Amino acid sequence: MMAETKINIGPVHPSTHGVLRLVVTLDGDTVTHVEPHIGFLHRGVEKLVETRMYMQSPSYMEKLDYVAPLCHDELYVSTVEALLGVTVKERAQWVRVVQMELQRIASHLFFLGTVLNDIGQLFTVFMWVFKDRDLVLRLLEEGTGGRMFYVNMRVGGVNRDLPPGFAEHACKVLDYLEHRVKEYEDYLNSSSIFMERMKGIGVLDSRKAINMGVTGHMLRASGVEYDARKAHPYYIYEKLRFRQMVENGGDCYARYKVRMREIVESIRLVREALHSMPDGDALGMPIRLIGPLPKEKEVVVRRELPRGEGMMYLIPDGQRPYRLAIRAPCFINAYTLEHLPVGHRLQDLFAIMASIDLVLADVDR
Amino acid sequence: MLTGEMVFQTILSNLEISLGISRVSPVINDAIGALIFGIVVLIGVTIFDYLFGWMERKLIAKMQLRHGPTVVGKYGLLQNLADFVKLFAKENIIPANANRWLFLISLPLMAAIFTFIVEILPYGPAAWGVNLTLGMLLVFVLLSFMPLLVFMISWASANKFASISAQRSVMMLISYEIPLFLVVASVAVLSHSLSLTQIVAAQSGWWYIVLMPLGFVIFLIAMLAELERPPFDLREADSELIAGWLTDVGAPLYAISLFVDYTRMFVGAALISILFLGGWNGPALPPEMWLIIKIVAVSVVVVVIRATVPRMRLDRTLRLGWLWLIPLSIVNLTWGLLLVGGLL
Repeated sequence: MMAETKINIGPVHPSTHGVLRLVVTLDGDTVTHVEPHIGFLHRGVEKLVETRMYMQSPSYMEKLDYVAPLCHDELYVSTVEALLGVTVKERAQWVRVVQMELQRIASHLFFLGTVLNDIGQLFTVFMWVFKDRDLVLRLLEEGTGGRMFYVNMRVGGVNRDLPPGFAEHACKVLDYLEHRVKEYEDYLNSSSIFMERMKGIGVLDSRKAINMGVTGHMLRASGVEYDARKAHPYYIYEKLRFRQMVENGGDCYARYKVRMREIVESIRLVREALHSMPDGDALGMPIRLIGPLPKEKEVVVRRELPRGEGMMYLIPDGQRPYRLAIRAPCFINAYTLEHLPVGHRLQDLFAIMASIDLVLADVDR
Repeated sequence: MLTGEMVFQTILSNLEISLGISRVSPVINDAIGALIFGIVVLIGVTIFDYLFGWMERKLIAKMQLRHGPTVVGKYGLLQNLADFVKLFAKENIIPANANRWLFLISLPLMAAIFTFIVEILPYGPAAWGVNLTLGMLLVFVLLSFMPLLVFMISWASANKFASISAQRSVMMLISYEIPLFLVVASVAVLSHSLSLTQIVAAQSGWWYIVLMPLGFVIFLIAMLAELERPPFDLREADSELIAGWLTDVGAPLYAISLFVDYTRMFVGAALISILFLGGWNGPALPPEMWLIIKIVAVSVVVVVIRATVPRMRLDRTLRLGWLWLIPLSIVNLTWGLLLVGGLL
């Protein structure tokens, strides 16, 4: 019987993807207790936006989750739209959906790379995925002008419509990506080491998942059918045919599987959206043209972000928010770090951490 | 009068008694010759280390759709030299709680051990320093010092990640040295000798990879574990234990650890070539050339494996060792005995 050892993983560690610190108690090689310390990247965004006018804030919101900034941008702008009671232009809805789904693909590909990297695959898949992800980023760049941060959403529409010829280019890229994703899956399914590292590791059952409030791929991997795009449809998601991806394992492998299937589904979604997209005006307007801002109103908007369900709660105060509360999906998902690794080996802790897919900027805000 | 020649002869006769030298190499007929041979081998191995480091970076980069080093020198050939100079120019940090002397001598000791192994390996029908009748035994005994030294430096550096790494190292030692030695025993049975040159001579007909394919697979897997290469890089485990036993090691010592790593790779590849791939046997080309070709081929395979597979779980690694490799290596030994006995 070995004495318990406490080791300190992070805040600077190759596998924590940012500044997460875990104080791990080990009994031999078995994890008996995990104590996540967060907050190293706290920027006080919620307080900061109280001092800014509404349309000065989207760029802060993008930095919440720098792997999928466009979706957070959209969430914030939708919150402002809900506050103002503005309906988004028909074409702009389609453009937003296309861009959000592209962002989801990019974000999920990133996840695939980091998972493989964390379980000890020497950056190979990571690099391949980055090359594929770059194609998606190029599409987003064509559409918005930005590669990392986009700030493309405006009240009632978008800043830039999709350029001419976008659909053809996008379809080419999507065909290629579909082929690539299949390749990755073939490669990983044939890797028994990968299966051993992922299967049966960090099982989160559905009851626990619901009680902890986790969302996104973690919830769906535990067998709960909940996707904000289906449960609370917004924009044109009702018109599009897509399935929510549910796996029953609840383990790291199920989480990986959900994400991989979501990539394929998002590819189909974008393709369908591009085909049936109506013509028309999609441009949004500067906020000062919209009219008087309401004083007494509270709005909540929820969106299915790549990392889970994001919500924003806004109380206005004239030109500025009185309070903006953000429900960051990663923050809630990070709770599971206390429970999932317990009883597993130290090595599995890193597989679990990778499968939760935290973005620390989102956790700490 | 005591001449250098006499001293050399005395040392040799003493060595002959204690280590069982069957004869001294034809290329060495005096002390100067021995010295020159040793230096030539060391330079050759250093060149191999250097080029292996370059090849590893380039090959992995190609597999990852990158370019690898391109700026320093033609095809980035001088990049490793630049890195080496940089590492030696940096401060050598010794952790406050470290056992200073143990911490400082562990890595140079490892380098010394691998240099020693390199010197006693044969490189051709005539290109060897000493032909020990128990050469293979000595090489593997020296190789198994490695986990011990890993344990030593981890203990000396008083780092928790290093100590976890050392624990893993000892676990791997138990589960992978046994199959390794059993396979080596079966090679010895098959060639009726523990001398490396004799083993190569015995493979002038069929190579042992053909006669003992199972043994080769076991040896390759156990050697990957021994060389700390993926999927068995549990000791270093960069995404888990930061750098494992090297976590607290400062830059100059790290440079030595790179030398150890690459030399170990050379020794591993050379042993695989000598024991299973027929050593320097081959048509047309000079025998030394054949050995080098085989060593390079084995190292390329190891690098490709490195860039392809994720890391094994520790418990699976141990299970693989105990439940598969050890029984299978006993099967392999039996197979070797049957082959020798002419029962097949």
